[in-house]
Formats: sequence, structure tokens, C-alpha cells
Amino acid sequence: MMRPSKPYAAWVLKLTALAICLVAAHANAHHSFTAEFVADKTATLSGTISQVWFKNPHVRYLIVVANADGGEETWDARGSPVVWLARKGWTKDTIKVGDQVEMYGYLGRDGIKMLSIMTITLADGTVLVDKAPE
Amino acid sequence: MIQLRRNSLLSALWVSLLIAMPVVATADVEGRWILSLQDKNRTLVGLLEIDKGEGGWIAHLEGGPASVTTDGDNIVIVADSRDVRGFVFDRRMTGIVDGDTMKGTYAQVGAAAQKEAPGPWSAKREIAESAALARPMPFDLTGTWTATQELDFRKYTMSLTDAGEAWLEGYLPYYDQPDVRCTSIGLPALATYSFPFEVISTDNRLTMIYEYQSRVRRIWLDERAPGEFVPPSRMGHSNGRWEGSTLVIETTNLDKTVRDFRGELISENAVIEERYALSDDGNTLTAVITVQDPEYYSRPPVRRRQWVRNDAADIFPYTCDPDSFYLKMYEDGELDMYLDRTDKRF
Repeated sequence: MMRPSKPYAAWVLKLTALAICLVAAHANAHHSFTAEFVADKTATLSGTISQVWFKNPHVRYLIVVANADGGEETWDARGSPVVWLARKGWTKDTIKVGDQVEMYGYLGRDGIKMLSIMTITLADGTVLVDKAPE
Repeated sequence: MIQLRRNSLLSALWVSLLIAMPVVATADVEGRWILSLQDKNRTLVGLLEIDKGEGGWIAHLEGGPASVTTDGDNIVIVADSRDVRGFVFDRRMTGIVDGDTMKGTYAQVGAAAQKEAPGPWSAKREIAESAALARPMPFDLTGTWTATQELDFRKYTMSLTDAGEAWLEGYLPYYDQPDVRCTSIGLPALATYSFPFEVISTDNRLTMIYEYQSRVRRIWLDERAPGEFVPPSRMGHSNGRWEGSTLVIETTNLDKTVRDFRGELISENAVIEERYALSDDGNTLTAVITVQDPEYYSRPPVRRRQWVRNDAADIFPYTCDPDSFYLKMYEDGELDMYLDRTDKRF
């Protein structure tokens, strides 16, 4: 379930904008460059982990979330380098395929289904903070 | 008659005084300033250079363009920066100039992941050092060093030559930065990253082992030149010398590659100068890193970094696998686009 971090009305507007952007991105796929995030657009994703790459240069999780149409969609969530997370005890076994988690982070540019991870809340309530090194 | 002449003399004096004194005198800020800015519990430091231009001040912070405007003793400085998540924003400093100092308050403008609370800033005119003449007073770098909070302004735009600007136009950091596909980011970027490094000192060399990308470099203290068949590389050939208690490392024999996160080029003729100084208690190491490369930069870009001694820290292994990077492009139908831009990668 994708949950807005901002008031509902604002989110409806953003979803509309997102839909428009998605159409635009599709029409122009060759020029839509992924993996750039937007500093003032954050979101929370609740879902099930479907794939884990716990590797440098960047940790990557795929998460399957329910969308507004009753269907499912897969989001690509990016974290810090392994060396940064491992030092804090966040390892390849911390989050596994099939785990239910809630992720909070920055949204990808142009409505692309990507998230730059800030926090991940595990099923037992543990909150992992991915604060990029300063 | 005499009275009249005295009056006209006085009038002439007044007129000349009025011409000589503008209504509001503008502070003279031309010169080199050490700018510092307080963000919560960290202090950023940078070199601010201000020159007189035809239409106003021409300013550079850490070698990159900044805006400086003055009105009487009031000053406004605006400089861009890039935070650790890659978001670009401005810092706007407003304040008062008082002779050889200026100070005021600043605020972050634009969205950034790393939120900075409005705080004080100040600047003092740089005092030229003549360290080059000082006798060597080496310190021992042996040990493991972990990065402190960033003290660098992380200036985003730099002053580039036309060739430097032309290269940047088509550059896409997400696809083209060497480290996204596990290739060495090299110097100077590696020396500014916030991962730990270990130093081993032996007779005529320092060996630095960087956690990020598991890179190793040797800094020769015996003035040797690169061996005849040693090719240029991203870590280059480094010679170290002591200017007083500052370790100055000069690196040449570099590969053509990118300098930093934005992807500006450095040429094979670039010379990187790193100046390392140790705090009096021996625990804090500070570096100022300058790139001399007139082919791509009209003014040398500057970066800074600070570490604390932390011999208990482990240097973690850095195992890198670009599989998910290529897979993502495959899934998104971007592989052709990626292959078409081979000339953007080193």
C-alpha cells in the first residue's frame, strides 16, 4: 500500500501529476533517465520484499505493493553501499525475500517507481535508518 | 569682495567633497577570505575569492562561481551545493562587512535531504602562509582514520573552460560515474569520501588503504619519478613532502577520468595537491585538496575533508557487483541507450 506522507488532498493532486508523468515517461521512454530522486517528494511503501541485492555499490530491494486499482506493482528501492550499512549491523540477512516491511524515502523523478531509502520498518517494529554518509 | 570669494571657495569645497563621497560608500570586499558557516554542530570552511568586475563583484567559493552583492556595508553571498543524496540547493548568506571581517546569518534555499538550520556565518581575510620555507616537522600518520562530519561546502558548479562545459552537457552521473559499475572512482574523489582509510608508514613511503572500493595508494617520500613503464592510473603517482608540519602530496600520472560526483573531467595533465595537517592533540587530520588542470578548469576546484584517529575501526571489505545496475537497464529497455554513450565513460 502506498501511503502519502502529506495530507490526502495534496496527495490526490500528486497522484494525478504522477499519472500524467508516467504517461509522458512512457511516450518518451528513451529519454527518461531513471534513478534520479526528487528532494521534496517522499512516500511510504508497505509491501512484501521480492528480491534482495545486498551488494556494493548500492543495496537494492524490490518491494511489491498493492496499488489503487486492486492490483500489484513492484518498486525498486535503493540504499547506501553495503560497507556503510554493515558497519551498523544491517546485513544481507536483515531483510529477506518474503518479509513484510514499510519503506520511507524519496521518490524517483518523473513518476518512476523508485525509492531512495531513508528508513525501513520491519514487521517486529524495528526501524532501520539509512542515513547516507555526510 | 573678500567675503564673496570666501563663500565661493567654501561652495567649491562642498561640491568637490560631495563628488568625492558617494551617497552610500560600498564596502571593499575584494580579496581572499576564509568563509566559515555554522550548521548545528558542524562548521563548514571554504575559500571565498572576490574580484572587482565591471558590473559588480565576481566571486568564487572553493573555485566555483558564487554570487556576491554589496549595498553599503551589507553583503549577500549565494553559493550552490550538492548534498549527500545528490540534491542541489543554495546557501544564502546575508550580513555586514566590517573592515577585514564579515558576518551574518545564512539559510538553505531549496529542497535538500540534509536539512540545515539557519545559522551564523563569518569570513576573515586570508593570511598568506609561507610554509614552503618552514623546515620539515613530520608527524606520524600511522593508524586508521574515520571521517568526521562534512566540513566541505560541497560546491556544486565549478569554473570550467569551454571544453569542460562541453563535456558536462551530455553527462549523466547515474549511468556514467565509474563507481556505479564498480570501476575505480580514483583521485581526488576517493580522498574526499566519508569512508575510513588506514595508513602504514615505512622508510620512504606512506601506504594508504581506502575502504571505499578497497583501493591502495603509495605516497613516495623520496622524490622518485614514476617507473618507466608504469601507465597512468586513477590513483596516479604520488610524491609527499613536508612543509613545516603540513604533509603536501602531489599526484601526477593520472588517467583521464571524472573529478567528482557531477562528472567534470580531469585530464592526463592534471596535478592534484593534497595538504594534510594534524591537530595539536594528534587526533584530528584535515585535508585541503586542490586540482590544477587548466585544460578543463578556469579556476582550481577545492575540496576539504576531516578525519579522527580511530585505530579500533575495521576497514571493511568492499565487494562490488554491478549486476543489478545492468539488470535494471535491461528491464527498463535502456541498454541500447547505455551502449550508445560509451564515449561518456572511463
